[in-house]
Amino acid sequence: MSDSKAIAIRTENLVHTVNTSAGDLSILKGIDMEIKEGESVAIVGASGSGKSTLLGLIAGLDVCSQGEAYIYDAALSRLDEEQRAKLRGQYVGFVFQSFHLLPSLSALENVMLPAELSGDLKAREKAEGFLKQVGLSHRVGHYPRQLSGGEQQRVAIARAFASAPKILFADEPTGNLDAETGNVISDLIFDLNRSLGTTLVMVTHDATLAKRCERQLIMSAGRLSEAE
Amino acid sequence: MKLALKLLFRELRNGDVMTLALAMVLSVATVTGISLFIDRLQASFELQSATLLAADGVVRSSKKLPNEWQLKADESGLNTANRAWFSTMVFTEAGLQLSQVSAVTKAYPLRGEYLIDTQLFGTGFVSDRGPAAGEVWVSSRLASLLEVEIGDDIQIGEADFRVTSYLVRDPGSSASAFAIAPRAVINWQDLDKTQVIQPGSRVRYALLMAGDADLLQEMQEWVTPKLNENQQWRSPRAGGRGIGATINRAESFLLLAGTLAVVMAGVAMALASNRYVKRHLAQVAVMKTLGATPKKIASILTWQLVSIFIFGSLVGLLLGWSVQAFIAYSLEALLSTALPEPGLGKIWLGVLTGFTSLVAFCLPLMTRLLTVSPLSVLQPMGRLEGKTLLLYVFGFIGMFALMVIYTKGFLLPILMVLSILIVSVLVAGIGFVLFKLGRQFTSGATSGWQIGLAALHRRLQSNLFQLLVFTLIIMLVLILTGVRSNLISDWQSQLPEGAANHYLFNIQQEDVARLQGMMSTLEIEESDWYPMVLGRVTQINQKGADELFGKGKEKPEMMSRELNLTWTDTLGVDNEILEGVFNPLENGFSIESKAAEEANVELGDEITLLIGGREYTQKVTSIRRVDWSSMRPNFYLILPKTILSDFPTNYITSVHVANEHKQAFYQGMSDYPTVSLLNVGDLIGQIQLIIAQVSQAIQLLLGFIVASGALVLVASIRASLDERLEEGALLRTLGASKSLIQQAMLVEFGFLGVFAGFIAALAAEACLFGLQVYLFELSASFHPMLWLLGPVLGFVIVTSIGLFAGRSVLKVAPMRMLQAL
Ligand SMILES: Nc1ncnc2c1ncn2[C@@H]1O[C@H](COP(=O)(O)OP(=O)(O)OP(=O)(O)O)[C@@H](O)[C@H]1O
Ligand SMILES: [Mg+2]
Repeated sequence: MSDSKAIAIRTENLVHTVNTSAGDLSILKGIDMEIKEGESVAIVGASGSGKSTLLGLIAGLDVCSQGEAYIYDAALSRLDEEQRAKLRGQYVGFVFQSFHLLPSLSALENVMLPAELSGDLKAREKAEGFLKQVGLSHRVGHYPRQLSGGEQQRVAIARAFASAPKILFADEPTGNLDAETGNVISDLIFDLNRSLGTTLVMVTHDATLAKRCERQLIMSAGRLSEAE
Repeated sequence: MKLALKLLFRELRNGDVMTLALAMVLSVATVTGISLFIDRLQASFELQSATLLAADGVVRSSKKLPNEWQLKADESGLNTANRAWFSTMVFTEAGLQLSQVSAVTKAYPLRGEYLIDTQLFGTGFVSDRGPAAGEVWVSSRLASLLEVEIGDDIQIGEADFRVTSYLVRDPGSSASAFAIAPRAVINWQDLDKTQVIQPGSRVRYALLMAGDADLLQEMQEWVTPKLNENQQWRSPRAGGRGIGATINRAESFLLLAGTLAVVMAGVAMALASNRYVKRHLAQVAVMKTLGATPKKIASILTWQLVSIFIFGSLVGLLLGWSVQAFIAYSLEALLSTALPEPGLGKIWLGVLTGFTSLVAFCLPLMTRLLTVSPLSVLQPMGRLEGKTLLLYVFGFIGMFALMVIYTKGFLLPILMVLSILIVSVLVAGIGFVLFKLGRQFTSGATSGWQIGLAALHRRLQSNLFQLLVFTLIIMLVLILTGVRSNLISDWQSQLPEGAANHYLFNIQQEDVARLQGMMSTLEIEESDWYPMVLGRVTQINQKGADELFGKGKEKPEMMSRELNLTWTDTLGVDNEILEGVFNPLENGFSIESKAAEEANVELGDEITLLIGGREYTQKVTSIRRVDWSSMRPNFYLILPKTILSDFPTNYITSVHVANEHKQAFYQGMSDYPTVSLLNVGDLIGQIQLIIAQVSQAIQLLLGFIVASGALVLVASIRASLDERLEEGALLRTLGASKSLIQQAMLVEFGFLGVFAGFIAALAAEACLFGLQVYLFELSASFHPMLWLLGPVLGFVIVTSIGLFAGRSVLKVAPMRMLQAL
């Protein structure tokens, strides 16, 4: 691996603890890692081991209890929510297991949303372009409930790439889809990743999908280790 | 902003935003409608009282009033007029007659109108001016006593006047406004010519003013300190006993009931926004992951709330205005009197209501959207819960504040909160037991009954809440229906077709039999004949008014004027002994309860009366409640027989004269020149007008309350809709038929409705008892209709709305629902 590439994500002794009614629950117990720009990384591990939590913390969705997470040298816990939101809007894209499209917006409007939130005026053209790339140019006006799961996920991918993110986070993007559709979706993600040079961090249970990534990290009881 | 509105409009289809907006419209409309209507009612009442006074404000004096007062009033922009009145002999060639004569300036009356006629004893037409100089208007009574006609001359004091009209109604002569006494009106310019105003002559003067309320207020404040003991300021509302008090009570009752409609609408708003928030937590979290900053989210939410607020207030104001306008219009047709236009000053109350509801019921929930962590999109949905405690606190504070504003006090709101609390405990207790029992008796899921009862039990908490809401709504509907029919029937029974419309007093013993003869030939119904003397209360417990109430302070009515006093051996049916014993043959006074209260008189206190120059001091031996609206002769004080027998007996009675007999009756009365006649027909008309107005206002309220209740029902069913959909889908996939699910819902809602109706009837009966006895001062009665109406209403309304709001559970195919989950 060439050292010339910048480090996209880095954590230092990342610890996360939540208060529950049954007392404090320690989810992440000190995680150190580095992900370089353009890399594709899979995070695997048992259910409940803390994968989603880690993904959320390094994506700046929440703040860790101890330690620090950096996106391109920006220490996330030192930003306020306003700044973190802006950072997410500019650098980060998401694809979720359950798609999370806004039901009251059409496919096109869903893809336009990130640009609209950041005040981009050319939102529409860009959105149409991305929908074309995911092969849905004939369904732009349809609402999520009129689309199948696979189609919804394609819209979600178009939305994730619409803001030209530096890093794409995906939490089990194929988890709710059948094997065949899952393959189509993961092809799409890897294609876009390669052509745009996006850094990819993906949580998955699917071993074959994990293998397609350059690196695999294994999450186990709140600790992270590199696969062989 | 564009995004905010786009999201909002897309949400309309989903119902929550619609419910929110409708609830907002309803509460604004309710309050606007009621407050505007009451405003008109009050204005119409004040206008009518002003008509009696002939002005908006009057200074009366037994001496000529200082010129500078008039100047001050003129300068400040008020309209003014003058009136002087006195008793004097009026002469013709044929004879002479003691008469009430008044002299008025050109502008008189400032409020109300003269009614005159060219026919003797005619019913009169409106005249927009008083008599011109040299003219005199005489009452038909005086004309027939003097045997003069229009065109003849009469002499008042040293001046001659030509009779040009018969006077039918003389506005502004206060209590005797309707007296068909021998009276005459001349022009102010002729006052000096008559030369009746000599030192020592008893002339009363009035400076009348009308115009802007603020100017009048200013004038009153300027004049009041300058008043001496022979001068008084009078406003239409002062002495507003009886009718005025009734209106005030009706007003607070209506507003309070309106508050409940607002609370209902508020609950609907809270339920709708709770569901809205629940459904949007995930969406907002997604938007946050897409880079929406907290500011952005806040501005989107604010724009949405602001547009709901603007829409809700505008439509609500419009609706409220239209509804009250419609009611006023229908009243006009009914009563052939136009209500004064509503002041737009009250509109802020509706807007404030909308704003408070939004802040109290939506904002606390909406803030949950601001604080939702974007991390939650990576977690299962179950963890997203709304904060409810905060909502209750905010909602309660907001509504309580509104109630305080509506009723301008803390007592009624506190009473209201307490009674809601009591009803809640009742509902919770009984409901809990019943739902549990229902579950015990049925188990399994083979019939609609079992599924329905099981559903009631499963959603125990939300069902108890719904039960409470329905109970409150049905209760309110029942109370209002009860009050409405009560008020109407009660007033109608007191003012039956043949209610007295004339009082006759100063009747000599020897005239009684002859008058009775005349009444029976004219088929005129008369009340009892009461002997009467005039007297003045000079002391209570050997203390004068100044000593008791402070020098220059307002005295109780009982001590401020001459009273009509009577003796009787049986009390009228409209009298009820509250304390003590009424024994007409023993010494001691019987006092009316309100008068006693006003003068702080209690049983056993000693009252000193001055009658015909003689003093009598006796103990109060009984306190009576008197129903003044009965229109029968009634008295503040009833004396023992011993006192009255000291004086020549005069009698008073009241009669009902049908319109077609009026002329004959008045003509017949001209044979009794000494008998005074008081026409209270106008007063009865006024009372009937108020009854009609209040009952219309209640109807308006009923409509709003039912509407907001329906909204709560819809909102609360929608709140459990997701759960119901899931259940319905599950049951259908397990092979349950559509009709089974429908049956189950019917059982669930029917049970809720009937049960709510039953508790509501119970509570309404209790409330009606309280209202009747304490607020409206009517006698208590039992309302069997309520017990039937409550459960039936509950069943019909709750099931029909329930099935309507839950129709999607039946319509949607089980397959599609599983996908949507
Ligand atoms: N806010 C929270 N409150 C309480 N517990 C939490 C919270 N967030 C996460 N957890 C718990 O922390 C653990 C890790 O959660 P996380 O969602 O990261 O697991 P995961 O590895 O993504 O599991 P899965 O593969 O099932 O998605 C779980 O046991 C979860 O219940
Ligand atoms: Mg997970």
